[in-house]
Amino acid sequence: MKKMAAGSSSNVNENIPVFEYKDINTKPFHVGSFRTAWLEKLKPIDYSYEDKYEETEDADFAKEMGIAPETLDELKAICSVDNLRCQAEDEPLDTNVVPPDPTLQTLIQRKKKQDYKGTLRIDKISRVDHYQDELESLAVGKRPEDPVDLVPEGEIILSINVLYPAIFERFKYVRPHMTLQMLGSHSLVDLRDAICCISDLQVFGEFSNTPDMAPDFISKDHFKSAFFYFEGVFYNDMRHPECQDMSETTIDWAKTRDFPTFHKAKMEDTRFYDLKVKVGYPYLFCHQGDCEHVVIITDIRLAHKDDCLDRKLYPLLTHKHRVMTRKCAVCHVYIGRWLTTNDPFAPNDPCLFCERCFRMLHYDKKGNKLGQFLAYPYVDPGAFN
Amino acid sequence: MPNGKAKDRFLKPLVADYEELLGRFQQTESVRFEEFTAIWRNMGFSSVFYFQIRVGGLYLLYGLYHTQLASPKEKIRIALKDWEQIQKFYQDSVNSQHYDAVYIIRKLITENAVLYTAMPQMLTFRVKKKPQHHKVCEEFRDRPERVKDLISTDMLQEVANIQGHHERLKASVLERSSIAVTQQDLPARLHSCVLEFLHWQDRHENHGDADHLVYAEEKAQQVESSNRAQLLASIKTKSYGCLAEASKSRRHRQVEMDTSISGTGYINEAPKYHKSRAPSLKARTNKNLCGEGDEQKIQYWLLSAAEEDKTALKRQKRKHSFRW
Repeated sequence: MKKMAAGSSSNVNENIPVFEYKDINTKPFHVGSFRTAWLEKLKPIDYSYEDKYEETEDADFAKEMGIAPETLDELKAICSVDNLRCQAEDEPLDTNVVPPDPTLQTLIQRKKKQDYKGTLRIDKISRVDHYQDELESLAVGKRPEDPVDLVPEGEIILSINVLYPAIFERFKYVRPHMTLQMLGSHSLVDLRDAICCISDLQVFGEFSNTPDMAPDFISKDHFKSAFFYFEGVFYNDMRHPECQDMSETTIDWAKTRDFPTFHKAKMEDTRFYDLKVKVGYPYLFCHQGDCEHVVIITDIRLAHKDDCLDRKLYPLLTHKHRVMTRKCAVCHVYIGRWLTTNDPFAPNDPCLFCERCFRMLHYDKKGNKLGQFLAYPYVDPGAFN
Repeated sequence: MPNGKAKDRFLKPLVADYEELLGRFQQTESVRFEEFTAIWRNMGFSSVFYFQIRVGGLYLLYGLYHTQLASPKEKIRIALKDWEQIQKFYQDSVNSQHYDAVYIIRKLITENAVLYTAMPQMLTFRVKKKPQHHKVCEEFRDRPERVKDLISTDMLQEVANIQGHHERLKASVLERSSIAVTQQDLPARLHSCVLEFLHWQDRHENHGDADHLVYAEEKAQQVESSNRAQLLASIKTKSYGCLAEASKSRRHRQVEMDTSISGTGYINEAPKYHKSRAPSLKARTNKNLCGEGDEQKIQYWLLSAAEEDKTALKRQKRKHSFRW
């Protein structure tokens, strides 16, 4: 362990993240400098992926403390994990059985919960929910085949929550979001590309007269502008010539009011290392002109041996809330693809149809439109499940 | 020989700490190990604790890390801001020749049990969650003011008075006042000793002040939050105080008023399931100003369900939910 060099970091070193509001978010700090601060304090072997040889470690220890090998052996025996075992050596521990007469409170509580579960009658187990929690562990410990793709030691991993735009009434107590893990050397455009929002797939336009032409226009291809807002700076996506600077309106408006001046930067030129952010604080991602997502950086840390170490797999999705898919109002079997309004054939306004029911009801065998109605292609919100 | 020392310190505070911890763990209402390690970290390495308790905390972390059955193992998070304290603790252990503590710290690091992070916990901006006030066990706290408490100015005054009294009595009783049982200038010497110690402490305790400030700040925040908590509690009792009376046929399901929400300043944030609750402000405004808009939300996706089949719409209600 390295001894702290005197005066190398004072208490007011601003690269050390501290709480702005306790347990809620930190003060802003520069990500790259945070990484340097950690790397200064540690020896490379502390954060390397390699397994350390026990003999060298023991030898170092004995030398530093000046103790004899016999003492070392005795010490190792005392501090061994085997001393912590509560049951006999050859009995495997059964996690489902609570030992009788527990005095520990967690065990008492566990028994209560187990008994309670026994009284429940579970109607149906959704298979998707069953595997929902496993998403996190899919990529753990993965190494790439090509060593060039290995995440270098001492790299920063950020965990970012991107919340869905809050248009669902039901989600009052839950915050539906997706969690992405990114590397410090990624740029903001990598994050932008990894965010899946259904508004990107929306097709605009009324297609009752030309139902076969619908898939040609996707919003993602038309409206490519987007920006991130972190700590008073707007990062615009300027990769394509069609992209406009969406933040200009806001910046101009802010100048007329009593706001501190905002700055602009390019999304593709900014890496996470260059950012100055607060951990745990909500920021903004805006695309399609008005589709806004709240972005929170939940965690920043050094890479670890057990993380996914394949660069190609990043940005890594570790959590995603599932959205219910809306089905056809008629057959209730297929996913809804068309939304109709002012439709005399439909039981309510607006009404959702799948492709087959839509065609059967609104068009005759030759494909002529029957009656007067308006039809819009519908993108199911659960498209990314 | 570390033999006796290690075993003693391994078992005794282990049991005591574990019991103490579990109460707090219950309050988090979660079985996430991350919460567990967070509490442990807090308890084990905060600067105000006795050295022994910190060592106990270290041992507990070590034990928990190794006995966990999950794979990959849940790591111990160390934030950058706490690294200095950990280094200091390590140095103290080395200087005092506590081989077992040193060995265990080194082992945890070489086994990659540590995650080097920005903050001790992942932060998701849950502002509404009640802030975790860890009730620090008083016995575990270190007392840097021990000396000051013992030798206060009052006490010195007393000692001086007694000294004076003793001298006078001695003078009046004995002819030879050359025999001195007590030191003549005891109060003065006590005072100078204490001052010297305090100066030494100040020089070595470079963040004593910061801790006091933080503690004062926390106190202020606590007072603020408890005021707010009381205000919220009073609003809640008012709104939950009036309940709609169920019709005769549903009288057996009449909801009883929960009188447990009152005034101790502690608020149960989890929303209770009331079958008929008092209309919210939004609902009342809507009713008064906008009149009856959409009477009923048509559930488009269940048009094919038979009208008589009301059970298709309702989720099966649990008789009682699990009380943690």
